[in-house]
Amino acid sequence: MKRLKIIISSIILLLISINITIAQENDLKLKLSGELLSDQRFLLEDPNDWAWNENRLTLKLNKKLTDNSKFYSEVWLRNIGLPSINSSADLYNKGILDPYNLEVREAYVQLFGFLSKNLDVKIGRQRITWGTADKLNPTDNLNPYDLEDVLDFGRHRGSDAISFDYYFNSDFYLQGAFIPFFQPANMPVGIFANALTPSMEMPMGMTLKDFNDTIQMPRYNLAESSTAGIKFKGFAAGYDFSLSYVWGRDGLPMSTYNTFIPVDAIGGININSELSFYRTHIFGADIAGSIGGAGIWAEAAAFLPENEVIMTNDLSALFLAPPGSVTQDSIMLEKELYIKFVIGMDYNFANGTYLNIQYLHGFMNERGSENLNDYFFAQLDKKFFDDRLKIAPLAGGFIVSDWKDVENNYAVVYIPNISYMATDNAELTLSAALFKGTGDNLFANFNDYNMMMFKLKYSF
Amino acid sequence: MRIIKLSVIVSVVILLTGLSANAQDANTILKKMDDVMYSPKDMTGKTKIVIIDKAGKEKIREADIIQKGNDKRIFRFTAPSSQAGIAVLSLPDDVMYLYMPAFGKERRISSSVKSQNFAGTDFSYDDMEAKPYSEKYTPTLIKTEEGAFVLELIPISPKSSYSRLIAKIHKTNYYPIAMDYYDRGNKKVKEGTYKFVKIGKYWNAQEMFIKDIKKNHTTKMIMSDVKYDSGITDDDFTVRKLKQ
Repeated sequence: MKRLKIIISSIILLLISINITIAQENDLKLKLSGELLSDQRFLLEDPNDWAWNENRLTLKLNKKLTDNSKFYSEVWLRNIGLPSINSSADLYNKGILDPYNLEVREAYVQLFGFLSKNLDVKIGRQRITWGTADKLNPTDNLNPYDLEDVLDFGRHRGSDAISFDYYFNSDFYLQGAFIPFFQPANMPVGIFANALTPSMEMPMGMTLKDFNDTIQMPRYNLAESSTAGIKFKGFAAGYDFSLSYVWGRDGLPMSTYNTFIPVDAIGGININSELSFYRTHIFGADIAGSIGGAGIWAEAAAFLPENEVIMTNDLSALFLAPPGSVTQDSIMLEKELYIKFVIGMDYNFANGTYLNIQYLHGFMNERGSENLNDYFFAQLDKKFFDDRLKIAPLAGGFIVSDWKDVENNYAVVYIPNISYMATDNAELTLSAALFKGTGDNLFANFNDYNMMMFKLKYSF
Repeated sequence: MRIIKLSVIVSVVILLTGLSANAQDANTILKKMDDVMYSPKDMTGKTKIVIIDKAGKEKIREADIIQKGNDKRIFRFTAPSSQAGIAVLSLPDDVMYLYMPAFGKERRISSSVKSQNFAGTDFSYDDMEAKPYSEKYTPTLIKTEEGAFVLELIPISPKSSYSRLIAKIHKTNYYPIAMDYYDRGNKKVKEGTYKFVKIGKYWNAQEMFIKDIKKNHTTKMIMSDVKYDSGITDDDFTVRKLKQ
């Protein structure tokens, strides 16, 4: 907490000491912009528990350093979640009563025409956005997923990286990125905390009493912890396209070694689990264009794990007189290609209605060709009153996890929303998230989380 | 009978000749208007867009514009804060990209957006297109007023959201003074007026005023800091520049 205070104080001092100007008159001056966001959600089911509380101040600093370079940073200062007060001691701790945190989303220097007039280089924490689809991008794998809010699809954190764009001409360029340190995805919080935790089936007669896990992070060296990617992007015959390759690690850990420890005589078991992040090759391709006035796009990523991912269950402790080590191995992920893809289109009707449709095969947390589900997402919205009011009566998705038994393996997500620009810079959004489903898919786990959501965003 | 026939033939010949002369004049006038509007090699400037609703309430947008020829343009919002940084790159053949800083990447815009209003203004993307009028419309000279030619412009493309435009063009300097827009039902839906000033050797549309009659809603675009022929290259109209 002390450290956080020091960081916040330093930033405030920095902001005061440097010559901040909001005026755009002088390009070389530091520009400050950002937004204040309040995101509140409560469950529809009685007693209407609060599901989400986030108050975020986003500060964006942008400074053109020279004609050929710029600095950019984006920092979140925020209060997220609800205070967890358990004892009187917590009342002495402002950090518990009123929790705030600071997050540097991006902070980089970009050099244009570096060494060659065709080369741009970016150094520092940065978001490297790949893919042409709308929010659901199977090829966007360089930055770690930020799964904190699972309803904010496609959100990623920035990575400390060096990246470049080399432009052959105005239509073709090469993009590359090197991330020296592996950063895993951060998991959902609040009521969504267990959304991505796989269900665990215990053998007959065993009851899970306690579960502990240990994460095996890759060693911090070039071979183990780094991620690299390269992409060739072009424009031809009216279409934008790209081909990409990423050598990285899956940001969601997989269980690789479980030790079963009996804790009583009636089948009570503790499990100590080791989790690790497997290496994978990712080959990507995307295309975007327009047919008959409609925007169309397609994006695919082929994932090839570097090795089989094997989970070992160590049952040695269950036997009073073990014959040695008693283990069972099972393959969690084959060393074979599986492909996630998305195709989509959008269209603006003459009356101002906008339609966006996407079909996705394989959500961000799914791996292995047999485990990829099908997702159909759609949004229909229309603006009124000089674009001040936007109503999206049709927004959501339909998910099928087993076409042979759809009745027991589906989910419907319905997220209608209304947003209103109260002023040029203040936007209010009211929406509902309704879930219904069953079977093995992410959204079927949210049946009990139907909620109302209210957002206020003020830009400055 | 012979006299009648001869009269008819003479009348038709005169009429056809007259029509031909009219059409030629109309084409020449429209081409001259295009020359006035699109002859600079390139242009940079700032624009202030004042959107006035029927209650008289004003909203202001500000943007930087750079343009080369009549088919390459970058329009980058600088105000209000909620839109600052959003930019649109327009390229030939209806290729358009939208850059939204919040997403950090460019996005292709479908050409169906052309019929939509641009950023809440009364200008559609189509209106904002810098394609010469002589390439988009077939003109007819309706009348000549004091100080102005009045042309009727019929869209060549059946996809146009307008059935016709009535353009009033300055008789000496050939810039547009006013323009009325008719929808597919031949109902006047918009009316525009223009104020041109000379900057160097070019006429510049310093103020454009357009009113949506149905919505009783108006938009005023005021140009400033306009510079012509400053040597902008094609490299300034790329996704690379859009993202900077």
